[in-house]
Amino acid sequence: MKTHHVQVGTVSRELPIVEVAPGVSVALFNMLGDTEVTEAAGKALAALIPADVDILVTPEVKALSLAHVISRESGKPYIVIRKTQKPYMVDPVVREVVSITTGKPQTLVLDGFDVDKIRGHKVAIVDDVVSSGGTLHSISQIIQEVGGEVAAVIAVFTEGQERPEVTALGHLPLFT
Amino acid sequence: MEQLNVTVGAVTRDLPTVRVGSTGRVPLVEFIGDPEFTNAVAAEMVALIPNGTEMLLSVVTNALPLVHELSDRSGIPYVVVRKKRRTYMQDPLIVDVPSMTMGVAETLWLDGPHAARLKGKRVTIVQDVIASGGTAQALARLTERAGGTVNGFLAAFKQGETTLPLHFLRELPKTI
Repeated sequence: MKTHHVQVGTVSRELPIVEVAPGVSVALFNMLGDTEVTEAAGKALAALIPADVDILVTPEVKALSLAHVISRESGKPYIVIRKTQKPYMVDPVVREVVSITTGKPQTLVLDGFDVDKIRGHKVAIVDDVVSSGGTLHSISQIIQEVGGEVAAVIAVFTEGQERPEVTALGHLPLFT
Repeated sequence: MEQLNVTVGAVTRDLPTVRVGSTGRVPLVEFIGDPEFTNAVAAEMVALIPNGTEMLLSVVTNALPLVHELSDRSGIPYVVVRKKRRTYMQDPLIVDVPSMTMGVAETLWLDGPHAARLKGKRVTIVQDVIASGGTAQALARLTERAGGTVNGFLAAFKQGETTLPLHFLRELPKTI
């Protein structure tokens, strides 16, 4: 199997290259179940968060442990935007956002309990990989809608095109 | 309304409750978005990991920050099972869970490359809360199908009756 070498702090990994569409392959980066990479990336990214950021927001699921580590290291709280509504949520904000990549509607749910933590605050969005920017766009939309300001976007890797607005530790190419 | 609070180490939390049917209110434990509580629980739970454990196996979503901390503190790697099929999965192992709590059956998906990490290993099943034990038993079946052996069951909270030989930190009432 072909692999792509990446370095995250002192940790290196060989990512499997898998075909996701005819003629297009990506280096598959999955932090779930990789404690070392999550710790290394979380510590490095915590140092790059602008001081005036009040709160971290992450989409479930893959970047969740990363957000936990960045929060633990930076002392800034984090909240998770879910993809389904949970029975225990209080006045959840539910938005159908049309993905700019797939054109399909995607549900994002913010627990009403978390809205006040975003409204009037500076937010850093945390994700594992920012590729097409689809999820990023959707998350930004819901944050702005509840009155928050997206002050930074933090990711382990950008992928495909260069994204100067994203603070990342590295870049993954697309393989064609 | 009756409140239930839990203290672990130096951290105390009032647990939110959700009404379930006519049986009363069920207390909920939330690790997502709470690094302080997650770390306090992990610090005590790490001593409860059964001897000989070579791998931890957990399931999305609420337990993710907890299992990451347990892994980081113990040096034992972990694998996470998903509740939805992901497009990138290769030859996943699939198992159904008849859920007691919400009355809805769930399906668990273990990606092939992750299943390979369990082969020949002594695996401890880790969850945030174990109630009936249905999900824990499904994780045990996945472990065996992946060629691992179940070394034990570990939960932060035991909530209700289960026949599983369970290591746990605190017991919670099923309803208040």
